[in-house]
Amino acid sequence: MLRFVVWRLVMIVPVLAVVLVATFLATYALPGDPVMVMLGDHSSNEEMAARLRAEYGLDRPMWKQFAVYVGGILTGDFGMSYRYVRIPVVEVLQDGLKISPLLALAALGLGASVGTLAGVIAAIRRNTATDTAIILVLVAGLSIPNFAVATFLVYAFAIKLGVLPVAGWGRLDQTVLPVLILTIPSAAYIARLTRTFMLEVLGQDYIRTARAKGLSEPVVILRHALRNIMVPLLTSMGIIFGGLISGTFVVETIFNIPGLGRMAIDSVFARDYPVAMAIVMLFTAFFVLINLLVDVAYAIIDPRIRQRMVPA
Amino acid sequence: MKYISSAFAVMLAGLALTTPVDAKTLRINVTGDPAMMDPITYSEIIAGRVIRNVYEGFTDYTPDGKIINVLAESWTALPGEHGFRFNLRKNVKFHSGRAFTAKDVKYTMEQLAAPDTKAGLGAGYVANIVGVAEVKAGTTKELSGIKIVDDHTIEVRFTKPDVLFPIYPIWFMDSGIVAEKGADWVRTVSAGTGPYKFKEWRRGVHVEIEANKAYWAGSPKIDGIRFLVIPSGDTALSQYEAGELDFLDVQENTLRRVMRDASKQKERHVVPRAQSRYLGMNANVYAPFKDKRVREAISMAINRDAMIRGFYDNAAFQLHGVTTPGVAGYFADLPKPKYDPEGAKKLLAEAGYPGGRGLPPIDITCTAVFKDELTYYANELNRTLGMQVNVNVAERATFIRGMNAGEIAFFPWGWTSGYPDAMYYLQQMWHSKSPYNRGRWSNAKYDALIDEAVGTVDNEKRFALYRQAEMVYIEDMGAAPLPMPANVALIKPNVTNASITPFGFDRFIATEIK
Repeated sequence: MLRFVVWRLVMIVPVLAVVLVATFLATYALPGDPVMVMLGDHSSNEEMAARLRAEYGLDRPMWKQFAVYVGGILTGDFGMSYRYVRIPVVEVLQDGLKISPLLALAALGLGASVGTLAGVIAAIRRNTATDTAIILVLVAGLSIPNFAVATFLVYAFAIKLGVLPVAGWGRLDQTVLPVLILTIPSAAYIARLTRTFMLEVLGQDYIRTARAKGLSEPVVILRHALRNIMVPLLTSMGIIFGGLISGTFVVETIFNIPGLGRMAIDSVFARDYPVAMAIVMLFTAFFVLINLLVDVAYAIIDPRIRQRMVPA
Repeated sequence: MKYISSAFAVMLAGLALTTPVDAKTLRINVTGDPAMMDPITYSEIIAGRVIRNVYEGFTDYTPDGKIINVLAESWTALPGEHGFRFNLRKNVKFHSGRAFTAKDVKYTMEQLAAPDTKAGLGAGYVANIVGVAEVKAGTTKELSGIKIVDDHTIEVRFTKPDVLFPIYPIWFMDSGIVAEKGADWVRTVSAGTGPYKFKEWRRGVHVEIEANKAYWAGSPKIDGIRFLVIPSGDTALSQYEAGELDFLDVQENTLRRVMRDASKQKERHVVPRAQSRYLGMNANVYAPFKDKRVREAISMAINRDAMIRGFYDNAAFQLHGVTTPGVAGYFADLPKPKYDPEGAKKLLAEAGYPGGRGLPPIDITCTAVFKDELTYYANELNRTLGMQVNVNVAERATFIRGMNAGEIAFFPWGWTSGYPDAMYYLQQMWHSKSPYNRGRWSNAKYDALIDEAVGTVDNEKRFALYRQAEMVYIEDMGAAPLPMPANVALIKPNVTNASITPFGFDRFIATEIK
């Protein structure tokens, strides 16, 4: 098990390396010049432009800039922000780092709980009014885009009813709508999967055996059915987390939350490449780590997988 | 399930515990974080909106563009020399409690000239002071052109005339702050004399400044100002509607909604913007523009009244030529550009292009924000004049660099004034030697008038020169003036003495919240 985890951790390095090269090249290919953005209307000021270029090392050849950048990262230095004068990237990201993962994890946790519950209920009560109602809500939750839901909820709860704030971050009531909006699609997705898997499992012989043994229905569902659908459900968690990352971009923009998602968008518009690149790296690392956790969880749930996971 | 219900319980408990913002803090939106909070590196609009309430210079201006004396009680031109003697205000204290004296003025200007301070816009304003070259080169730290006569009298000498020096936004800082708080002082304190001092900056959330109770002209009546960072115009409008903002700086994407909403009429404030907009026509790139009649025909083919209604829901103003209302040297009685499609056709035919025949196709270029406007020009010029105009949407920095290099033939753009005197527009936009003359229009008579104005200290005489120069520009159709969008704000009725101005927000010195 330990060997497996270590091996997977080692494999993160090449993934990050590829992402690093790709984002570095992408920022080079993007139109726009950070120095021109910094200078704004004063971009004819050649003297100031040259000074800024030298200061940020943008006058060096590309390979050298890359080498310096990678060298910095290896020592934990992601460089200086282009947009905020004299502020290192690490400091710019600090606050966002406390927000976006929290948002995504809250939505993942809430989505998994609500989704599994709804899916199980729908499966047990299949082809009844309850099932149909749940399916209807699921389809709506999956197909209505989150920015539309957000606009509606803000109008209803913040502007008309005045019970929740429109936007902002720092108080608990400001987290309700963003977390809710991130949760809806993930809960719907999980519920749909749960329902399908449950229906399949409930038709299996061992369920009939369990019932024949005289086990109570909750025990049959929880211990025998649910446990067997955990592996495919967990697989979906990794995918959902990817969706949540892109979800934070939208939700943080709508609710004006100073997280990594909004920061990523702002930094691209401001051509603050060091910040944008660091955020891409961070999101990559999150994604890889979540998938690692999912794999570890597999191994815990299903001993058969443990055997196959370590390369010979 | 237990976890879910307990999570909700925690959330609901949180709802009950939320503390409302202090009623005496003015909440106002800005579209991004300021890039800096000090007057030396200051170089962008948002920072300026905050810093203006924290730092002060020799002078400031009222919402209608009148100059008022702030830290300079008076000044006189040095006889026979290029320069001024300033008499500084007495009994002014910095936020640190130290007294403001002539040495702080000298220190600030030296910081702006120094090679290692990353000085921003202010560096341009001290560029003519004697000795700047030596300070820039690093051979000395002292500006030889500045002479401290006594604690409250200072003389500044220039290498060439710089008559507007007293109104430049050069904001003075406490020369003792680095010794007291270290080089990183700006993160924790402010070093100005203004009515507010720095309280807190939560990046991405807000910048808050609090009342300076010891302000020399009397403490502000509110406790502070919170500038909330809200990039989305829609979110900001919703927050205003929900009572989370007291003062909304309306963004372009919500302008029409705000203008059409009759219920907001009483809270709506619409003022001209200190931004000169024009349709640039670069004859070096597109030869037909060399003929004044072609330029004039294009200007006459544009229906500005329709643009003001259609694009801005009447939240825009018509310009005569270069200058805008609210800056000194603006004349409201200059002739306005005409809309005359038939006359335009005739002029183009006289120039040798009847019905547009013989005109090579041309790109009209601007950023994505202006694509509707570009489409309008392209259609209108094709319909009226038979010109083949292609819409070209460009990335902003690439576009600006192209304009600065004089490589873009045909483009709508604007120039926002940095201080309330028409010289800013007249000299920077259309003097043939200015690096910002993006249409590359060049007129010797215009240049001569501006050169003379630059050395004319007397306001009335200088304004008369501006008037003549602007008439030269209008008659020669240096560029086609375009409607200038308004600055629009919504201000809650319980807020008084807070206003939006052609330059952004007025200082919130006398603001009250009832």
